Amino acid sequence: MNLLVTFETGLREVASHKFRSFLSMLGITLGVSSLVATLALTNGIERGTRQFMAQMGGLEMVKVVDKDISSEMLDFWNLSPGRTIQDARAIQESAPLVTYVAPEFDEGMPVSAGGQTMRVRVRGVWPEYGPATDSVIEAGRSIVDLDVDRGTRAVAIGASVASTLWPTLTPQEVLGKTLFIRQVPFEVVGVFQLYERESDRKERERQKNQKRTPHTTQRRWDPFRWKNETVIIPLSTMFYEFQSGLFPDDSLETVRLRDFTFRVGDLDHFQAALAQVRTTLMGTHRNVDDFEFETREEWFDNMNASIRATRTSGGLIAAISLIVGGIGIANIMLASITERVREIGIRLAVGARARDIFLQIIIESVTIAIIGGLLGVFAGLGLIWLLNIVAPSDNTPFVTAGNIMLSVGFAALAGMLSGIYPAFQASRLDPIQALRYE
Amino acid sequence: MPLVLLENVKKYYTLGGQEIRALDGVSLTIEEGEFVAIIGPSGSGKSTLMHLLGCLDTPTDGKMTICGHDVANATPNELAAIRNREIGFVFQSFNLLPRLNVVENVAVPMIYTGAGMRERRKRAMELVEKVGLKDRMNNRPTQLSGGQCQRVAIARALVNDPKIIFGDEPTGNLDSHTGELILHMFTELNQAGRTVVLVTHDPDVAAVTHRVIEIRDGRIRREYDPRKS
Ligand SMILES: Nc1ncnc2c1ncn2[C@@H]1O[C@H](COP(=O)(O)OP(=O)(O)OP(=O)(O)O)[C@@H](O)[C@H]1O
Ligand SMILES: [Mg+2]
Repeated sequence: MNLLVTFETGLREVASHKFRSFLSMLGITLGVSSLVATLALTNGIERGTRQFMAQMGGLEMVKVVDKDISSEMLDFWNLSPGRTIQDARAIQESAPLVTYVAPEFDEGMPVSAGGQTMRVRVRGVWPEYGPATDSVIEAGRSIVDLDVDRGTRAVAIGASVASTLWPTLTPQEVLGKTLFIRQVPFEVVGVFQLYERESDRKERERQKNQKRTPHTTQRRWDPFRWKNETVIIPLSTMFYEFQSGLFPDDSLETVRLRDFTFRVGDLDHFQAALAQVRTTLMGTHRNVDDFEFETREEWFDNMNASIRATRTSGGLIAAISLIVGGIGIANIMLASITERVREIGIRLAVGARARDIFLQIIIESVTIAIIGGLLGVFAGLGLIWLLNIVAPSDNTPFVTAGNIMLSVGFAALAGMLSGIYPAFQASRLDPIQALRYE
Repeated sequence: MPLVLLENVKKYYTLGGQEIRALDGVSLTIEEGEFVAIIGPSGSGKSTLMHLLGCLDTPTDGKMTICGHDVANATPNELAAIRNREIGFVFQSFNLLPRLNVVENVAVPMIYTGAGMRERRKRAMELVEKVGLKDRMNNRPTQLSGGQCQRVAIARALVNDPKIIFGDEPTGNLDSHTGELILHMFTELNQAGRTVVLVTHDPDVAAVTHRVIEIRDGRIRREYDPRKS
């Protein structure tokens, strides 16, 4: 018996009972639309999070932090110089698996130019800062070795710092301008690229095309904000201009660093790289175990876990609706079978086998489920579209072709499973009794 | 080899603990090309016999072959295949599918033979034309008269070109004039060489056949050729 006819019979059945079919589809439609919507939402969240993670420098970034030393080592505490710039140099020399070391001092300070003032975190850095944090220069240059060696008053700034202080100038025009950090004049030598999410970029372009005044007043959480508000100056300059007063007994070589990160070249050798750094630092710290590594593994794991959790709970809701929808279909199919006992009897009498009847009912319920599922896909897409208009979110939800196939696939599966019992019932009918049924 | 061979066939039903002997030892042979009427009073077992002959049911006991197939020991799927290919069945109440049109109804048995869409349609059209319903081919059964419905049913019974046609009171639901027309169709089928077996209450129907089998209380009581008496 060929499937096409069975399929056609199923469609005819669905078409001749439009309202009943619609009712039985409703559950599946709701299930699929919620599945599509949750998939879209988690897609959005996942993409946002991954972009953020990538822009933060990825798993390769490791921070060296102070550690409370154990009580028996307390007497030796003074032996260790702590985390200093010496550590950074030592790592550069004897930890080949580490590609960049980025020691820095940072402090929140007022930054002003042309009457505008903003308060940002000013970082004193090595030239390695750029590659270590994946920050790319748009115009001019970053901080270079010469700046650090000579302690120049050079500053490289993030895109939003440039646009806030000089709203009318292009990054190129900002170069050479003077910027005051706590009243100390610096020369802008470089402007970093603007980092923004896909959604923000589209929004910005839309506003530009409509020639509307950009209303940036509604400030949303921006994962790249810290990058766009970068203000970096040479590490040496930072120390001599702003920090040495605080630590009169220290020199640049001996002062304790506030923040100290390094970047591992190859994640495959992550543990080996950590071991290299540990050995190196144990040397500079004179065997006092007063430091530890803060990797992003746990942090990233947590993010991944929360993505999974969102996905699971969304999937659960969708699964429940699909089960409910499936029960709905099963119910309607059972009702339609008692209504069609005679039809089944006639088909049996002219030569249909039990399995032909079984298949016919299964295909009918799968057909109903797939149509319901397709309606659900449209409903889900509509829901997302509405959501984007009513409550635009930072993580714009989106749907992939795979998501749609998955959702319709689940609907078909639900239809098939819910068709099994009614189909079994129908295929067990005895031809004579079925023919006699009124 | 006869088309139909029954040896001491029994069909018992149990109803409320009581045994009902619907057929109680029927032996019967029907050769190819015969035109047979089965008569008898209500409750005598005519329909029961017809269901066995039509492979819609299996006997409680006895030997039974139809077109060479051992029906008494056949599986449900084998019975379905015999119903599909070897037998055409015409019912008193037409038993058409209400949601299909005339051509589609006629083509239904071919679905289960595995014929393709084109072939089904072509063959069904042929038969619809043959029973004189070409102008009604896209109508549904509810839009047809009883006689027209029965013509559709006959066309359906013929669609897989079976050796034998069974009719369980095929004229029972029709007025006498329409009944005559339908009966004439069966006569023509028999003249064309097909074996025809009808169950009937109507002596006029029995009179046109070549062999009348009378059953009473589940047994064959007598047999005669109406042309000779
Ligand atoms: N499924 C069944 N269960 C129990 N008894 C049955 C069943 N089918 C038929 N019978 C009984 O078997 C006997 C023969 O029935 P059958 O239908 O063959 O009679 P019939 O000759 O066709 O009668 P009619 O002329 O009224 O159609 C009757 O007594 C009937 O009650
Ligand atoms: Mg009867």
